[in-house]
Amino acid sequence: MRPLDIYEKDPSKRVTIYFEGTPLIAYEGEKISVALLANGIRWISISSEGRKRGAFAFGPALVKINGIKNKDARKTKVKDGMRIERQTYLEYQGSVEVDKSKLPEKYVIDVAIVGGGIVGIGATLELQDYLTVALIEEKGYLGGDMRRKSVPVKEFDNKEAKEVVKDLVEKFNENVKVFKGTTLLGIYRDGNLFLLSAAKGERLVEIYAKKVILATGAVDNFMLFENNEMPGVFRRDFALELINVWGVKPGNKIAVVGRKPEDIVPELERVGIEYIIVKNPKRVEGKESVERIIDIEGNVYEVDAVIMSDGRRPDINPITLVGGKIIFKNGAYVPVKSDKNEIIEGVYVAGSASSLKNHYANYLEGRLVARYILNELGVGVSIQELKEEFEKINEEIEEPLSQVDLSKLNLEETYICGCDVTLKSVVNVVDGGITNLQIVKRLTHLAMGFCQGRYCLFNGAVVVSKLSGIDMDKIDLPTARPPLKPVTMKVIGNE
Amino acid sequence: MRSEIVIIGGGIVGVTLAYELAKRGEQVTVLEKKYIGSGSTFRCGTGIRQQFTDEANIKVMKRSVELWKKYSEELGFPFKQTGYLFLLYDDEEVKEFKKNIKLQNRLGVPTRLITPEEAKEIVPVLDTSEVIAASWNPTDGKADPFFATTAFAREAEKLGAEILEYTEAKDIIVEEGEIKGVKTNKGMIETGIIVNAANAWAKLINAMAKIPIKIPIEPYKHQGVITQPLKEGQINPMVISLKYNDAYLTQTEHGGIIGGVGVEYGPTYDLTPTYEFIREVSKAFIKIIPVLGELLILRTWAGFYAKTPDSNPAIGRIEEIDEFYIAAGFSGHGFMMAPAVAEMLADLITKGRTDLPVEWYDPYRFERGELRETALQMG
Repeated sequence: MRPLDIYEKDPSKRVTIYFEGTPLIAYEGEKISVALLANGIRWISISSEGRKRGAFAFGPALVKINGIKNKDARKTKVKDGMRIERQTYLEYQGSVEVDKSKLPEKYVIDVAIVGGGIVGIGATLELQDYLTVALIEEKGYLGGDMRRKSVPVKEFDNKEAKEVVKDLVEKFNENVKVFKGTTLLGIYRDGNLFLLSAAKGERLVEIYAKKVILATGAVDNFMLFENNEMPGVFRRDFALELINVWGVKPGNKIAVVGRKPEDIVPELERVGIEYIIVKNPKRVEGKESVERIIDIEGNVYEVDAVIMSDGRRPDINPITLVGGKIIFKNGAYVPVKSDKNEIIEGVYVAGSASSLKNHYANYLEGRLVARYILNELGVGVSIQELKEEFEKINEEIEEPLSQVDLSKLNLEETYICGCDVTLKSVVNVVDGGITNLQIVKRLTHLAMGFCQGRYCLFNGAVVVSKLSGIDMDKIDLPTARPPLKPVTMKVIGNE
Repeated sequence: MRSEIVIIGGGIVGVTLAYELAKRGEQVTVLEKKYIGSGSTFRCGTGIRQQFTDEANIKVMKRSVELWKKYSEELGFPFKQTGYLFLLYDDEEVKEFKKNIKLQNRLGVPTRLITPEEAKEIVPVLDTSEVIAASWNPTDGKADPFFATTAFAREAEKLGAEILEYTEAKDIIVEEGEIKGVKTNKGMIETGIIVNAANAWAKLINAMAKIPIKIPIEPYKHQGVITQPLKEGQINPMVISLKYNDAYLTQTEHGGIIGGVGVEYGPTYDLTPTYEFIREVSKAFIKIIPVLGELLILRTWAGFYAKTPDSNPAIGRIEEIDEFYIAAGFSGHGFMMAPAVAEMLADLITKGRTDLPVEWYDPYRFERGELRETALQMG
């Protein structure tokens, strides 16, 4: 077994890859980032300003593969003999090969569902007997946050979360076209239809649909502490995926930080990973990756990984991308929607993209929205019973705002954005009297990088609000623009 | 409240004008319905060029570049003379550009026709396999619209100008041909002099003042793209290819490649980015510089070209209303013109005359049917 394998992998799939010249064991099907971590390698890339970076906090995971620069270690699968090297974000490939055989694929369907989590799965099951459905999922697996968990879910007969997903997906019929490993880039109006452009590997996919459901989920809160972006720091969702999808542990001794340790601790206990809970983290340190964490009181803990489990908030980028409005409610920005969950005409939202609640409530909401659409398209289905069941269990989770004490942190070493934007630079601008987040964005480059603010805008708003006294609901948040996720020019420009 | 002069529009044209007027000791107020630079200014492609095809624009841009240079040093914002490089692909284009270069040279702009090899020395990543020559002026350049605009605004304020953000002009009060004031969402401002610097929204302001002449300015949607940042100095000049969809592209201060193509929609006030644009801009950029194919696109966005029928702005005084001025309709090249336009208009307002050829931009030319030679409207 490799240093961080939780269990033995299928030896028939074993391949050899090389990282910075050193041969390592990997298994077919694994992503590069996962295979490297299993071998104990956390530092894989270098930020624009020369900071060491891993693949599981924020910022891109750009590496050189077989001499080709700018490859995404989180999306690229290992191959036997593959040579992987570190690079900085500012490098680019000196030659380009465009595969002209990979022309854009076109599909025309009734309903496009973005997000293959439990919400998208629930909606698909409701629609598939009457309509054609495209289910678009960025990851290589369906089930979203539930697929990343093994703990039992009481509303699903106490079955294990990932087993629930497996059972439901098996019910898909021939009306369902599943696009796994497919990244949504944009949603455009095209006459009476919506055109969804997406990238599946190097191929552009164009899906024309009458209706769209955004089952695009929530994003984990990114916590503010010193060196919070260094290799060895994990977002909760990445850590869960490593454990339950790949069978790899983030570390041998893990510090769990954040206000929601209960969202990760049961999974760590289940596979027997040693952990401690560290309240009030101030700083992490280490040469190439995390070696210790220090809290505000000055206590030092020797660990090799830190998992941030600090709650989630709806990913507002897909919402604002299509022109949906947002409001601040229960500690999060959430979409403004009609009583049928429509955010603009023809585009619906469901699940934790809509509001934060438990998996089962999300699942019911996905099904409910599908039924609204069925009725809208002339297939008469009953709503009442499902709606009552949903309303009975729908308890929205209140997300308290971060209580981070800026005065206790070295702001120059605390990162608010993966593109080398320090908390210091944002605080300086706001202290200088600029409280308009649109201008803060331009002055600091906050939210102008690879993630389009997905992991930093909220914290930006918190900082502005904290320092200026302006309410969170009065802050003008920048709108997401296509592409929703970065895509290479050759993929989108292939003729 | 009362102000001697009210400028409607807090984009680059409005704030540079406020700066020039305040410097001349005038009392001036800028009304901006959102925040400074929030219209087309922050959405623009950063380019500053003197390679125009008529005498007036070349003269104005020559002065503008002098001012960009002077003010970037005085006010401390980045302006770099990294040149403009027009790639030429056939004899027809070369002939046309030779003519332009001759005119530019006569007026003191040092443009040269260079070989594909020379072009490649300037931008090593260029694909010059189809290029037969290039038009190159090393004194053209680029500036950061955000830093430039805020620097002019701050300096104007230091000199006493008042800049009112989130203050929208709702109506203009004119009595017997004389301006009395502007009604805003935050109350009335009494004034005798108004400058319409609202560019894409200029027709709305003209309508408020009931301008009796036709000044056709319409908003068209144009779009921009930015890629992931690269190490400094990869694409220094603005590179232009009329052959590939009127593409323009360069590298920003921050390292990303910024640019656009000639995909245009309108007239419209819609700013939703389109699929056609992201496809076409990628196709064109890969043709011009193939290695851009491996770069990640981070964002596309849209802004307005406030277009006139000859792609030249309307700048001047409207005689029927005392005293109403317009500086709008910049048709895609307003950012670069702003410092010279501000100087020209400030002189016109305070002295009644200017040394720059303001008559080329005569607002009455449309009414008289005297359209100018169409100005090249790109970044």
